[in-house]
Amino acid sequence: MKSHTQATVYNAVTPAVIEELIGLLGASNVLLEHERIEAYAHDETSAEEYGHMPEVVVTPVDANQVAAVVKLANRTGIPITPRGAGSGLSGGAVPVFGGILLSVEKMNRVIEIDYDNMVVVAESGIVTNEINALVAEKGLFYAGYPMSLETCFLGGNIAENAGGGKAIKYGVTGRYIQGLELVTPTGEIVWLGGKLAKDVSGYDLKQLVIGSEGTLGIVTKAIVRLIGLPTARADLLVLFEGPKEAIDMVPVIMAHGIVPTSIEFMDQLSVQTSCRYLNESLAYQDAGAMLLIEVDGTSAEQVEADLIAVGDLCEEHGAIEVYVAEDHNTMERVWSVRRNIAEAFKVYSPVQSLEDIVVPIAAIPDVIPELQRISTAYGMQIPCYGHAGDGNLHATLVKDPQMSMDSWRENQDKALRDLYAVTRRLGGKISGEHGIGIKRKAYLGELIDPVELGLMRAIKRAWDPANIMNPGKIFDLA
Amino acid sequence: MLAYQEKPVKIIVPIKQVPETGNVKMDPQTGTMIRSGAAAVVNPLDLYAIEAALRLRERHGGSVTVVSMGPPAAIKAIREAIAMGCDGGVLVSDRKFAGSDTWATSYTLAAAIRWMGGSDLIVAGERATDGDTAQVGPGLAAWLDVPLATYVAHITHASEAGISVERLTEEGYQQVELALPALLTVVKEIATVRLPTLRGKKRARQTEVPLLTAADLDLDGARLGLKGSPTKVVKIARPKVARGGERVAVNGDPAAAVDALIAFLEQRQLVTGGRQ
Repeated sequence: MKSHTQATVYNAVTPAVIEELIGLLGASNVLLEHERIEAYAHDETSAEEYGHMPEVVVTPVDANQVAAVVKLANRTGIPITPRGAGSGLSGGAVPVFGGILLSVEKMNRVIEIDYDNMVVVAESGIVTNEINALVAEKGLFYAGYPMSLETCFLGGNIAENAGGGKAIKYGVTGRYIQGLELVTPTGEIVWLGGKLAKDVSGYDLKQLVIGSEGTLGIVTKAIVRLIGLPTARADLLVLFEGPKEAIDMVPVIMAHGIVPTSIEFMDQLSVQTSCRYLNESLAYQDAGAMLLIEVDGTSAEQVEADLIAVGDLCEEHGAIEVYVAEDHNTMERVWSVRRNIAEAFKVYSPVQSLEDIVVPIAAIPDVIPELQRISTAYGMQIPCYGHAGDGNLHATLVKDPQMSMDSWRENQDKALRDLYAVTRRLGGKISGEHGIGIKRKAYLGELIDPVELGLMRAIKRAWDPANIMNPGKIFDLA
Repeated sequence: MLAYQEKPVKIIVPIKQVPETGNVKMDPQTGTMIRSGAAAVVNPLDLYAIEAALRLRERHGGSVTVVSMGPPAAIKAIREAIAMGCDGGVLVSDRKFAGSDTWATSYTLAAAIRWMGGSDLIVAGERATDGDTAQVGPGLAAWLDVPLATYVAHITHASEAGISVERLTEEGYQQVELALPALLTVVKEIATVRLPTLRGKKRARQTEVPLLTAADLDLDGARLGLKGSPTKVVKIARPKVARGGERVAVNGDPAAAVDALIAFLEQRQLVTGGRQ
């Protein structure tokens, strides 16, 4: 585990602090045993590389308890790290300075389902997917879900402004959060936004909180906007000769007028590794790259017409083969290839860096040859897959199992700097939906406009004068 | 009677449209499937029969035609099969067929296959995922009086004279040779199913699918539908899952826990000679 130096010096969690926490929350909501708090030391990033043990884990049951813990942290100078389900991909929920880890897991109630206003009000520890199970029978759904929807919490999605495979049509989390209850870094409870379609009454602090990675407070409740549930959907799995042909297709589809729910890109390495892992014998041998395209809607006829229109477009632009998946089993089959890429590469080499670059859609074709160049230059495999429809590519640096850890670290750093420089040159950013956290903090400073960084630091100082709320994330204050 | 065009080497695949089982819910009161809202698909196990037939056609030439008995909406299943690469399909649909059990179904399908001019080979799925009987395939073979091999996992050789297959049995594989025409029911092991293509889908939309009613077929009216079905469903109940098992608390030493588990398994003769 790494140490994370920062100018701020924090105090340790003393027996007196524990005593006070137990007084505030009850003994069952204060965890100390190593075996129990170990699970809170890391998220989905490498525990070895980014993990750090908390000194104590607390599981408050409401906003008042959260506020009390935050006030205590301010008074005693102890850092506090908010945590959802721990499915993050940038180390955002890792307590890098130890201190208090605050898990929202026990705040998982649905407060209200308000069909008249088409919203659900829920606590931040609810599993995101549960919202959809509750409202599906009314023909509604919450569209801002990320890929880890079986496990992730609403609060974590808000903190990271999580996206996912359906963002090109439905956007990301922030589009659907109409209001939220926040415990500020100084321990006050405030509602931002409301059950409103419009709100320009002052600065949009709600949107500032969304995606702030838990550095501007702890979200305890949220008002989630619902929309009509599409009743029909279907997929195309399209094979291309190479990544260029596949990627060139994306702007063509987007310009055509039909907005697919997803356009997922998978390069040859990704497809082959995933298919081998799944023992799937799709006719992928001839394909240099694939697109997985989903369309949805409220009528089966319209979805079929859209599917054929997009498929025809792909054939006109040189697709080798266009497969259609229109029933549940077949759709699961094609999506499992996409979903299992990361898992499949972990079998080959567990040491990897999952990247999250985002570039303008028209620049996607320029990224692919650069990835190939970087892969060769630094002796690693870089499978590339992701949400091509919104320019968000999960290029993944995979360590050659033969390479020593020292060489890997050195080459990974060089490769990342190279990749991020390319991304910036193409008008992109280093994270589209996973966040900066601790994983990308060292690189952000070089890639962001100093004026912008200065504004962010000023906001952080104004909101969190004691710098106790998830410190060490996104950027350092010093 | 509708006209039906023949090709030299004919493979026929009987298929069934079933409710999609990926997210089927059961009514706890009646024990029956809640069909409202459930999409209908080609019986997943029939896809292996289609795949096996298409591979035979790729190797030996000829044609693959599907036949299905069901409501008019089952034409979707036939079009799905054509989208995968089948040459055509026939739908057998009539209110008189409603409520058919496996006996009446195989009787009716056999008449349809005769109407189609018979075939060199019939390849069927192992069973349908809704009824789960695995009887229609063998029933068809009986009505058509052709040799039958069930649970076929591999087709090792095929020629005009006959076909050699390996059947999956509980002990391993059984090699069987059958004279043609014959009927096979196949298991998943036979091949990985291909995906339907856009080209196939468009072709399927344009392909005319003959619809056969009871009047088109040479049938004994007393043998059709619910009336002609000897099987009577008395009651459908959901089996109670009662997993007894015993919980053995193992504290501390992992090696001791492993020993305890092995002793437990050995006592029930579930493992032998595992310990070195």
